[in-house]
Amino acid sequence: MSCAEDINLLAVVVDTNPAAWAAAASDPDRPLDFVKIIEQLLIFINAHLSLKFDNELAIIASHADQSQFLYPLPPADPLDAADDEPSKPANVYKQFFDVDRAVVSKLKELVDDKRTKSAEHENRSMVAGSLALALSYINRIKRANENNSVQSRILILSISPDLPSQYIPTMNCIFAAQKVSTRIDVCRFSGRKYGGESVFLPQASHITAGIYLDIPEPSNLLQYLLYTFLPEPSMRKTLLLPHKDQVDFRAACFCHKNVVDVGYVCSVCLSIFCSLSKKCPTCQTVFPAPK
Amino acid sequence: MATASKPAAKVATNGATKKAAPPIDDEDSHGLMGASGQGYSWEEEYKRSWDVLQEDEQGSLVGAVNSIQMQMKRRRLNKDTKVVQRGIIRHLYLVIDLSRAMAELDLKPSRVECTLALAEQFVAEYFDQNPLSQLGVIITRDALAEKLTELSGNPTDHVDVIRKKANREPRGEPSLQNALDLARTSLAHVPAHASREILVLYASLTTCDPDNIIDTIDALRRNEIRVSVVGLSAEVQVCKTICKETKGTYRVVMNEGHFKELLFENIPPPPIAMAQNMSNLIKMGFPITRNFDPPTLCACHHKPIRKGYACPGCSSTICDIPTDCPVCALTLVSSPLLARSYHHLFPVDNYKEVIPGPPLPDVLATTATPLAGHCFACLQAFAPKAGASNAALVGLRSARYECGRCMNSFCWDCDVYVHEVLHSCPGCVNR
Repeated sequence: MSCAEDINLLAVVVDTNPAAWAAAASDPDRPLDFVKIIEQLLIFINAHLSLKFDNELAIIASHADQSQFLYPLPPADPLDAADDEPSKPANVYKQFFDVDRAVVSKLKELVDDKRTKSAEHENRSMVAGSLALALSYINRIKRANENNSVQSRILILSISPDLPSQYIPTMNCIFAAQKVSTRIDVCRFSGRKYGGESVFLPQASHITAGIYLDIPEPSNLLQYLLYTFLPEPSMRKTLLLPHKDQVDFRAACFCHKNVVDVGYVCSVCLSIFCSLSKKCPTCQTVFPAPK
Repeated sequence: MATASKPAAKVATNGATKKAAPPIDDEDSHGLMGASGQGYSWEEEYKRSWDVLQEDEQGSLVGAVNSIQMQMKRRRLNKDTKVVQRGIIRHLYLVIDLSRAMAELDLKPSRVECTLALAEQFVAEYFDQNPLSQLGVIITRDALAEKLTELSGNPTDHVDVIRKKANREPRGEPSLQNALDLARTSLAHVPAHASREILVLYASLTTCDPDNIIDTIDALRRNEIRVSVVGLSAEVQVCKTICKETKGTYRVVMNEGHFKELLFENIPPPPIAMAQNMSNLIKMGFPITRNFDPPTLCACHHKPIRKGYACPGCSSTICDIPTDCPVCALTLVSSPLLARSYHHLFPVDNYKEVIPGPPLPDVLATTATPLAGHCFACLQAFAPKAGASNAALVGLRSARYECGRCMNSFCWDCDVYVHEVLHSCPGCVNR
């Protein structure tokens, strides 16, 4: 059980891939409005901060070609230096104000950034990179609070399709998270024209004992966030939370990207193939002829 | 069986001759040594670990602590990041000497306690890093060798057996030959594509063998079994010969910290020699999870389970993977398990330390591209170089390490974290 002194660290990874959100906004059945989603996310984040004074937070945008911290801001960021503390409304909690301001202005910067408009970055999202940043940040917070126990978790708001080239980094991040018992919760949007089945993320939540939730009704996102993802890990045992019954642990073969349930594995590099071959394309090992 | 009691080993007799022999990089490990400066636990009368720490002129210990940390860091930097073929599927027998020599108290609290505690950690870490590998435990005492566990992939079996009281009592003489022979015959059925290894934790300076140990060495070499030894007292010629002949490593510990280090060096899978490369394609199944309501008996342990896996070959119910299907003998794994070992194959390049040049004159400083003010991964600010009070502290905090591929700067903590836990560079995966 957790004690009152635990520090709760929540790292939120927001998928900000412009192509996917554009597709989602024009979806005929379930249009998604990015601004509304971010508004609801901010309410959720404020709820997390208001639960306890010590609660820590990191928000990372997983963009099409980079990952960026939205909060906390890097030290000596021009944003802090330029406008000298705009007048904070008197009846606003300082932390809410700081977080909201940082997230909104950083997101605007990201969206306005011209570099991402090129075609080669279309419809991808740096989830693995964001996870790596989140874990490094969690590691730093844990290191800084060696005397207190830090309960950390990661929440991914995901809409982009999986990026096969990020399979190994994603897996490495999942195992690193598992090692420090950091749960990875996944909140996935999917509709007819966007999202779709993700293979990596259900594995991430399954391996780290997190929650995987396909949002059935995106306009009610806030309710899902508050009821499912807000309770801290130590409370989750007592709650009846959604869980995914079947996790697909089948592998995709390296040669044709087919999903296989019985495959052949190279004993040297552990690449997976769907049929017998003479030479491993990954590590160039020559196999003896089958007897 | 061990009948004769002839010490087959040449024994090094005193500290002076030992000094040169073990392949230990003395200058690197200096910071971890005890007061005598010699560093060998068994030579020390008193443990004076506080002598290592020297106060600086302000009476602070930060400098001393930092310099020790930096030494450890430098040692880690030597890690090889070349892409080599590694025998990822390993079969290893852990041989633990439980002879009278283990009862010595030079390692704290005693050799046997220290060894067995480290052995437990070793087993856990071994399976974490080598998910498809197997391990077995053998002990040797009273001139006999006893197999505690058969080769298996379940860490709890091995840890349980190591924790058992009866298996923790040192007595009698060890028998190196009996232990090696037992391990060798047990490894004989291992498929050719897997690597066969023996790791011996050896405290005694003698061995009590029934026969000529040189024959055993030849047999080991014929079977392509790699023997590594971690010695607890002094270097012993017979161990050295065994390791040399079987292409293993022989290291002698100096103290508890060094012991752990040497033992854990055996955790990453060793590179395989091209000659013994018996690679093969292995047929494996990737089962799908299944929920059962009401609970169903599993095929492997005949216990009722609610959650399990279905073998893709024969559809029998399995309670946990990785395992071999008890019905159709198909190796069952999950894709995350395979992915767990990929980081051995694609290691992260070592980061270069960036030495900041002398502060630029103001005119140039504005035009030159500034170094990032914070760590790319964790946003930790790099301390400014000038004007700080404690030089050693600044040395650590402002140390920045740069990835050669993505050219991002990282702090010291993140460098260690990336290379030891995360195994992928946060800068490179964001491109």
